[in-house]
Amino acid sequence: MAVVIECKDVTYYYPLTEKPAVEDLNLKIESGKFYGVVGENGAGKTTFCALLRGFAPGFYKGELKGEVLVEGKKTIEYGGELSAKIGYVFQNPFTQISGVKDTVFEEVAYGLENFGVPVEEIERRVIEVMKMTDIEALAEKNPFDLSGGQMQRVALASVIVLEPDILIIDEPTSQLDPEGTESVFRIIKALKDRKKTIILVEHKIDLIAEYADEVLVFEKGHLIKSGDKEKILSDISLLDRGVSLPQVAILGAKLKEKGFPLRKIPVTEDQAVRMIRESLKEGKQDA
Amino acid sequence: MENYIEKIQIRKSNKLAGLYPSTKALIVLMYAVCTFIVNTIEVTDIGLPLFLIPQFLVILILCKASGVLGRCIKALNTVAVVALIILLVQTFLVPGGDLIWRFGILRIYERGLRTAVSLSFLIMNIAGIFVWLFQTTENKEISRALEDSGMNYKAAYVFTSTLQMIEILGRNSKTIMNAQKARGVETEGNLIVRAKAFFPSLVPLILGAVISSEERVLTLEARGFTMQGPKTHLFELKKSGWEGKAAAASVLITVLLLAGRIMLWLL
Ligand SMILES: Nc1ncnc2c1ncn2[C@@H]1O[C@H](COP(=O)(O)OP(=O)(O)OP(=O)(O)O)[C@@H](O)[C@H]1O
Ligand SMILES: [Mg+2]
Repeated sequence: MAVVIECKDVTYYYPLTEKPAVEDLNLKIESGKFYGVVGENGAGKTTFCALLRGFAPGFYKGELKGEVLVEGKKTIEYGGELSAKIGYVFQNPFTQISGVKDTVFEEVAYGLENFGVPVEEIERRVIEVMKMTDIEALAEKNPFDLSGGQMQRVALASVIVLEPDILIIDEPTSQLDPEGTESVFRIIKALKDRKKTIILVEHKIDLIAEYADEVLVFEKGHLIKSGDKEKILSDISLLDRGVSLPQVAILGAKLKEKGFPLRKIPVTEDQAVRMIRESLKEGKQDA
Repeated sequence: MENYIEKIQIRKSNKLAGLYPSTKALIVLMYAVCTFIVNTIEVTDIGLPLFLIPQFLVILILCKASGVLGRCIKALNTVAVVALIILLVQTFLVPGGDLIWRFGILRIYERGLRTAVSLSFLIMNIAGIFVWLFQTTENKEISRALEDSGMNYKAAYVFTSTLQMIEILGRNSKTIMNAQKARGVETEGNLIVRAKAFFPSLVPLILGAVISSEERVLTLEARGFTMQGPKTHLFELKKSGWEGKAAAASVLITVLLLAGRIMLWLL
């Protein structure tokens, strides 16, 4: 698959800091894949996202060593047009309101206005995205009057509507209840089905296990593990390093430890059920 | 299907309220000029610019004709209170000229009365015309007009978001006041008690605004704010059709008033 973003020997310092927030990062992001980014607080996940989008060092300044390439061109060489390529949803929903629009409809439409999209097309796309993100009922409300969870959906909608090929989403579910969280993941899944490349920071590991293709694990500014989700999330040694793993993986590991004949460690519920059933069946046949 | 684009438009049936913002700005400017001219017409023995008082009727008539008198009254009341305070303070505190009136320790001097009347009614008139402007015009009309007038889109953004922010800050300060109260900070009572409560409450308010404005820059960037090329506007600014007439009338009245004033000098 085609590489859309590449990090080569990236080390990044925020201004006036001595310790890099991200160090020695080498990574290729491939087109159409869904990457789940995990790691403890302060591990550098947000900084990593900002690097991919060029906000670091473009906006935060600071010092960048190595290079970040988006479709082969350095992020520092791009101007405003990177916003059409990469959609970015921030961690804090409260600052993601443009501050110049007084209805949710206009808020979602704001980016398309900046892109100069014709009026009829804006209307069609905004309505479609409001349906998809389930915020149509809020269309005429003032964006400042929304709850945290509602703002988070509006922020997501405002970026999805731009139809970028790459989406970077930083903890979109921090303000959401379990149901809202599931629905956000379903939205992201739908985006993936449209061949978008997705980079998602998320602490809810069970959902990462369910939906992502690849997992990137950060620890103290280092990318300590990356690769296929089944490989990473079944690596029980990560538990000792403070990385949370799916409940079923822990269960699987414990079962294996106790001598239960599992083929390998499951990472999703479906897998676990299937594997345990198979093992039980084999067990019976052996007996 | 809901017609959202139609819903965000502003349709005014009143031809005056619906004037194009730049025409309204011209009216405001002309009104201010007229006010300063009227201020120079001094009557009575001690030269008070008393015509400023009946001039204020023009504001009321303008608001009434624009169909917003009800909404304007509240703001005009506030303006009147401020003007009254200025009137009293200036009347009793500014010395100079003949002593006109005394009662106990209170004294009114000629100069004091003159500056008091002039200043307070100037303020009444000029603040009044701005009340009319803002009560008949919505923020997004102003910002759209600014952008159309060739103002840089970044400057227009600063203007619009400031108007929005004032509204939001007002709301947030109430929330923060309530939070302070919940923590036992006294926010009611006399002026000193309230001042003591007020300044600490500003700290989170201002810090919050500064931090979020930094992050907001990134949000705007992600939404293509700095994208090159023409932008689309969902909101269309409409003319009411009376722009020509209104502009001509306001300029004409100002010119006539000025001519009249010069005549008075010459006579
Ligand atoms: N604007 C900044 N200026 C200076 N240092 C910063 C800045 N933002 C983050 N840092 C530092 O960089 C490191 C990585 O922070 P980052 O925000 O990337 O972590 P994170 O993994 O996203 O954490 P969280 O899970 O809390 O969101 C932290 O040590 C943090 O203190
Ligand atoms: Mg973060």
